[in-house]
Amino acid sequence: MNLEKVLIAFCAALAIGIPAIATAWAQSRIGAAGAGTLAEKPELTGTVIILVAIPETMVILGFVVATMILFTVK
Amino acid sequence: MIIRMSKIEIAGPKDLLQQVLSLLRELGLFQVEPAAIGFIDSADEQHVRSFSLDEKTTIERLYLEDLRLKIDDLVSLLPHAAVRESYIDPPTVIEALARMVDHHTVQARELSERRDALQKERVELERNAVFLSAVASLLQSAKETPNLEFIGLTVRDPAMVGNLREAISRITDWKYEFQTGTAGDGTVVGLITVEKAIADKVKRSLADEQVPELTFPAAFGSMTFTEKIAYVNQRKIEAAAEIEGATAAQERFAHRWLPLYRSVRDWIDGRLSLLRTTASAYETKMCFFIHGWMPSRDLERIRGSLLRSLGPQVVVEEKEMREQDLEHVPIALRNPAYFRPFELMTSLLPLPAYRSYDPTPFIGIFFPIFFGIILGDAGYGLVLLLGAWYLRKRFRGDQRIHDGGTILMISSGYTIFFGVLFGEFFGDLPERLFHLQPLCVERRTAIVPMLIFSLAIGAGHVVLGLLLGAMNAFQRNLKREGLFKALSIVVIFLIAAVLASFFGVFPLVLKRPAVLLILFLTPLLLFAGGILAPLEFLKSIGNIISYVRITAIGLTSVLLAYVANQLGGLTGDVVLGVVVAGLIHGLNIVLGVFSPTIHSLRLHYVEFFSKFVEHGGRKFEPLKK
Repeated sequence: MNLEKVLIAFCAALAIGIPAIATAWAQSRIGAAGAGTLAEKPELTGTVIILVAIPETMVILGFVVATMILFTVK
Repeated sequence: MIIRMSKIEIAGPKDLLQQVLSLLRELGLFQVEPAAIGFIDSADEQHVRSFSLDEKTTIERLYLEDLRLKIDDLVSLLPHAAVRESYIDPPTVIEALARMVDHHTVQARELSERRDALQKERVELERNAVFLSAVASLLQSAKETPNLEFIGLTVRDPAMVGNLREAISRITDWKYEFQTGTAGDGTVVGLITVEKAIADKVKRSLADEQVPELTFPAAFGSMTFTEKIAYVNQRKIEAAAEIEGATAAQERFAHRWLPLYRSVRDWIDGRLSLLRTTASAYETKMCFFIHGWMPSRDLERIRGSLLRSLGPQVVVEEKEMREQDLEHVPIALRNPAYFRPFELMTSLLPLPAYRSYDPTPFIGIFFPIFFGIILGDAGYGLVLLLGAWYLRKRFRGDQRIHDGGTILMISSGYTIFFGVLFGEFFGDLPERLFHLQPLCVERRTAIVPMLIFSLAIGAGHVVLGLLLGAMNAFQRNLKREGLFKALSIVVIFLIAAVLASFFGVFPLVLKRPAVLLILFLTPLLLFAGGILAPLEFLKSIGNIISYVRITAIGLTSVLLAYVANQLGGLTGDVVLGVVVAGLIHGLNIVLGVFSPTIHSLRLHYVEFFSKFVEHGGRKFEPLKK
């Protein structure tokens, strides 16, 4: 029983942890390029915010899956 | 809201063009359109040509452009000091200034060069002082005599000292003294004491080994090290005083002449802009034409002003706005006072197209609500309300920060409202201290209901975006795009119904018809949206799921607040507990400003606006002073 709980918690952690790492990696690349872009063209601020924000969906989906694992797997 | 614009043609006798343009510039309501396309019928093109300036005006333009360059040159040599405003009428002094500008430029350049030279000397002296002070400490143990020579040097790599010592021993046959020390900036400096007879040999050897000997300015002449140190200290004081004098002289010059030159430069700019605008006008044998755009509501104002000032000879005509003109109409936004601060957020995006929607009112309505739901703590809301009040009061002159303060104030109002609903005041303090239960839901434990709530918000928001997009597409006669968006709304509702039936919210018996209807609508979706329709539709579903962040970010805020109170309680001491909890709550409030802002903005920029806002408009830039 305890091992099951541990596994469920571990799976939930993986479900959010891996997308979080992926999001961080993607945002670091986009953020660096975005900062360079803004130095030359500040008028593209909105576009850069959008580009940086796009990979966040991964971690949100990870959060949903982690929540489903924690609350629906019995 | 996007202001309704009119396509305007102004015509009149050629000799009135300058007066018309001056008046239009005074009013600041009319944007001149240099392109003739859409304004002049192809049948009339042969009778119309670009307006050409007469000889006198052309000479005036060249004269003003030349003077403008000279004034720019002079101003660039003067310090950027805040100076008074000149009240002299620029046209009355322009000729006198044109005669004096060259003389003033020479004077300003001399002052500027003098100051630059002194500053350069001071930097050089500072650098020398660093080395000399290090060498001075070495000199204390070496007595200066006429037979001895002192060679100062900088050692790039401290590990080289041993090699150097060995090389000097070989050259001088052990008749030397070599001391090292560290300068104030960390550089290793050395002082070699040798007999004058072999000093040149040592110097050559050092040069061969690429060890830089300390070099001093020519002014140092043949001074000894001790004299050099005294000279540097004395000269540093003198140079500082001379720099002060040169700066004061520059400032006196700037205070005396800069206001006048700036005022004349502004006047020249205005006049040149008018003359350049003339190039955007057109002429026939007798008349001039100016084409452009202006807000429709100001049309009568411009008509009245031109009539009063220049009589009925100048005619203002509103032309028919054709389909192809809509792409060229400049965009001006005007929103009610409540929404105006939110233009700060929409200004980060490109302007909307004329036929699209201004996103400002939407962001003004939904942004504070999302912010409030995410932060949802009455205590934090009160703190932010105070912060917003301070920002608005302190930065009354800075419009952007003032607007930011207003947005924060509105958002903190919603934060307090949702905080009351969620029963949160600095986390779970109401429950801990007074055993009060939340009015609506406890976010910390009700994760699944909050997830469903945020998905419902997402569905509502995305459906609203699709609805606006569909309406806009139908208005623009883009039937397939409109149909695709309308069908997407229906399918989203059907999917929501099917999902709801699993939770018993929707009658289970209607599940099968809903699924059949989805299957029936799928080919229609493909027809309307093309081959990428499934992808587009899935994107909409992904957009709805993205709203889960409202719960996710909110949950982190709740849990951090809970941890703050829990840790505060664990300390067992009231003062320490308040300090610990206060620090963590402080961190949470700082995060609570940035996180909800960024995520609410993202939900608008990416999920919501992509459904109905078409970007690509150009800014309305009227002719004005």
